[in-house]
Amino acid sequence: MSSDPNVTGPRTETLVADASEALRRRKGSRVQRVGDHLKRDWQLYVMLIPTILWLLIFLYKPMYGLQIAFKDYSIFRGVAGSPWVGLEHFQTLFGNEQFLRALKNTVIISFYSLIFGFPMPILLALMFNEILHQTFKKTAQTIVYLPHFISSVIIAGIVITAFSPSAGIVNTVLEWFGVDPVYFLTRPEWFRPIFVGTSIWQEAGFQSIVYLAAIAGVSPTLYESAVVDGASRWQMMWKITIPSILPTIIIMLIIRIGNMLEVSFEMIILLYQPATYQTADVVNTFIYRQGIQGGQYDLAAAAGLFNAGVAFVLVMTANTIAKRYSRTSLW
Amino acid sequence: MTNMNLYSRGDRAFVILNMVLIGLFTISTLYPFIYIGSLSLSSGFEARAGNVILTPVGFTLEAYKRVLAEPLFWASYKNTFIYTIGGTLMSLAFIIPGAYALSRPQLYGRRFWNLMVAFTMWFHAGMIPFFLNMRDLGLLDSYFGIIIGFAVNGFNIILLRNFFEGIPQSFEEAARMDGASEFQVLWKVYMPLSKPAIATVALFCIVSRWNGFFWAMVLLQDESKIPLQVYLRKVIAELSDDEEFANSLMTAAYSFETVSAAIMVCSIIPILLIYPFLQKYFSKGILLGGVKE
Amino acid sequence: MAGVSLTGIVKAYGAHRVVHGIDLEVQEKEFVVLVGPSGCGKSTTLRMIAGLEEISDGDLKIDGRNVNRVAPKDRDVAMVFQNYALYPHLNVADNIAFGLRIRKESKEKIAASVKEVSGILGLTDYLDRRPADLSGGQRQRVAMGRAIVRQPKVFLFDEPLSNLDAKLRTQMRAEIKRLHKRLGATSIYVTHDQVEAMTLADRIVVMHDGRIEQIGTPMDLFLNPANTFVASFLGSPPMNMVRARIEAGETAPVAEFGGQRVTLQPLPALRDAVGQEVTLGIRPEFVTLADESVADRVRLEVDIVETLGSEALIHAVLQGEPFVIRTETVGQKTVLDTVSGFTIAPHLIRVFDAKTGQALPGQVMTQ
Repeated sequence: MSSDPNVTGPRTETLVADASEALRRRKGSRVQRVGDHLKRDWQLYVMLIPTILWLLIFLYKPMYGLQIAFKDYSIFRGVAGSPWVGLEHFQTLFGNEQFLRALKNTVIISFYSLIFGFPMPILLALMFNEILHQTFKKTAQTIVYLPHFISSVIIAGIVITAFSPSAGIVNTVLEWFGVDPVYFLTRPEWFRPIFVGTSIWQEAGFQSIVYLAAIAGVSPTLYESAVVDGASRWQMMWKITIPSILPTIIIMLIIRIGNMLEVSFEMIILLYQPATYQTADVVNTFIYRQGIQGGQYDLAAAAGLFNAGVAFVLVMTANTIAKRYSRTSLW
Repeated sequence: MTNMNLYSRGDRAFVILNMVLIGLFTISTLYPFIYIGSLSLSSGFEARAGNVILTPVGFTLEAYKRVLAEPLFWASYKNTFIYTIGGTLMSLAFIIPGAYALSRPQLYGRRFWNLMVAFTMWFHAGMIPFFLNMRDLGLLDSYFGIIIGFAVNGFNIILLRNFFEGIPQSFEEAARMDGASEFQVLWKVYMPLSKPAIATVALFCIVSRWNGFFWAMVLLQDESKIPLQVYLRKVIAELSDDEEFANSLMTAAYSFETVSAAIMVCSIIPILLIYPFLQKYFSKGILLGGVKE
Repeated sequence: MAGVSLTGIVKAYGAHRVVHGIDLEVQEKEFVVLVGPSGCGKSTTLRMIAGLEEISDGDLKIDGRNVNRVAPKDRDVAMVFQNYALYPHLNVADNIAFGLRIRKESKEKIAASVKEVSGILGLTDYLDRRPADLSGGQRQRVAMGRAIVRQPKVFLFDEPLSNLDAKLRTQMRAEIKRLHKRLGATSIYVTHDQVEAMTLADRIVVMHDGRIEQIGTPMDLFLNPANTFVASFLGSPPMNMVRARIEAGETAPVAEFGGQRVTLQPLPALRDAVGQEVTLGIRPEFVTLADESVADRVRLEVDIVETLGSEALIHAVLQGEPFVIRTETVGQKTVLDTVSGFTIAPHLIRVFDAKTGQALPGQVMTQ
């Protein structure tokens, strides 16, 4: 037995050819490497290209089009041909009471949605977890997930019908208590409660799935040992379940704050009317009216850029914090 | 742990209170749908008078007759089917291969391509540039525009990509050693293994297509091309904005409320029909048996 | 069937090298086992042979043909994966037939091959079942069937038994051996389990930190480990290591440690090493038990005796380090109760350089 650990059979005859082959391989390595990848994985690129092209055409090209926020846009000259006007549109916006009002409403509505909308799914998940009757639990879950899948037009239709002054169920019930009919949807002070309440009603059940999944991940032995220790259900919820899902809660909260400005304006368009603009008009509905309906594309694009910019900062900050917190990326 | 007798009195009270609260929330979720359903089956007069609480009052199918007699209702229903089926197929045709490619570690520039997808979730050019782009592409008032214009979204790609990444690499390697091309690996191995995830993505597409409203409203001026949701909105908006007009339309048999409720029911039914099917895929386990961890 | 030849095979991720230039010739029909602790580069090497990892440098030849840049499917190799990679949506027959279908073989040929292979592996009754409905051993067989059916030049095994429980592992180990005997296929097998390596291999390749430590037949490696790493890696319980110093003896050199001495072989290399610090490698099986009556015994403190039926493990302490002796129990009752040391023949002691860990030259033990 030789003490050389790397001994193998004879190989002199191939040595020269091998050396030149190795030399050839090392030369021009980077270009050749890319070439090798393309040759070997071309099928993957064929799969990828349609998606990338789609992104370029439908999402990245509009980003290029965002420059009209700094231009005096005219349809006939197009995006590239319109003259630059610098920050004029932004100056106009910040002198525009309607825009400032929309900004304020966006923040307020987002804030209400967060305060009232965030805890609800957590509460629901905790409560679902305490239900032992499996059929009851399944049925209840099936029902509360449903509104998420219903279109906002229908949800808005239900709200409009239910709150209608003449025929709506809400006013009918109020009447039983001797209250005069209220035309809720024309009253600015009622818009936000109705909107936020509707969103919670529609989404809380579905959002509870995330927390239920987190709860399902808690090891049953923790509960078993707690039972042996004589803990009550209430204590187990506070001492085991909630601490166990706290990381999920925090991550969801960060994401939620990151997406705060994403008020579902579709629902607002469906529910608001000129009488409630005062409390209901948000940045996106403002953009819709100014741009799509009013044809002031450049001004509306500026408002959109502002909105997207703030949202981007919020999301990136949230993502960074969440990453640091969970050590895993959200995406 | 399911035997109630093992519980202390405090626990039992807690469990029962909890059940009552969940029950109430569930009922409050269900009630509006029952209300709309009952409304659609009530007579116009009773509906107008606010007499419908839980069950139909003055049962009649007049509202449905009125709705079904409307050619525009049928046209919009047909359009919604076109957008939903066409759009979902289009989405899957883009997303499945795209997500698969992005999930492969050997893809050159993978980080860059993934970032390109993720970035669209963080930053969006916004409503106006998107609209102008669609107009410049000549995709206003076009079936194809609606179908292609919303085919891809970052969230669905990333969902499916993550699922593909979760399938052990050895499946791909085994298939490749067996001589499969990447297309075959995707078609014969990864797609069958990913049925639940693909079904989930398809479901997201179907639901968002079926319910899609805003962009259809913005991009489609031609009434013959609008989907059901836009049609429904038109009916509700026209009638609710103009109380007198609504009153003038009322007959004893149907009213604005019963007619719009009937359209809503017609729009919800397909979602209800696929709902159990969707639930199954949500909960179904993913990799069964073939791989031990 | 054909041989596999690796010359200077390197795997690097950027500047980080995980395999440092491996040279290995696998002969036709040979069963070679790559063994080593996790992270030693054995799986990476196997995957480079399979074509699943790019070769950063060096040459890989299968059947004399350079295949560095040949796609896995064109290398004519088949691989059995650690997790089997059975397609859960296909039944056993379709799993086995998958590769043939991809290669567009005729229906008749596929059916015949599947039948033959499932017969060999005893899977005939399970052809309609899905992987989820099979036991661990059956899944393992299907995974092998999928490789066999293609009749490749070379079989690659990547820790194929590590997901099985101990009993099944022993059983499947024997089955793989039988199969290899029957098919005579060139096989390269990766495992971290030295028992698998010892029992299956024609030749074992011990790897450590991306390098080959030693190549040889199982018995050669067991008897003549080239260095302390190989010595302690193969054999269970592992070889005992005792730090000592070589001194000149009357007829042969002796090793001295803590006032005790053992006689070594009268080899030139050992004589030349007088005064040198060495490590003595003593296999637990190679010592003879001794009690008070044996004067020239090596004394040690016996800690506990584990009786395992036909044999016993004596856990003792020598020089403050654990020292394990493995011995038969039958007829040894008295000695086991009173053991306080051991004797050992000079040629059963392997001497390693204490600094480099390499065996001093010239020590050769034969079976």
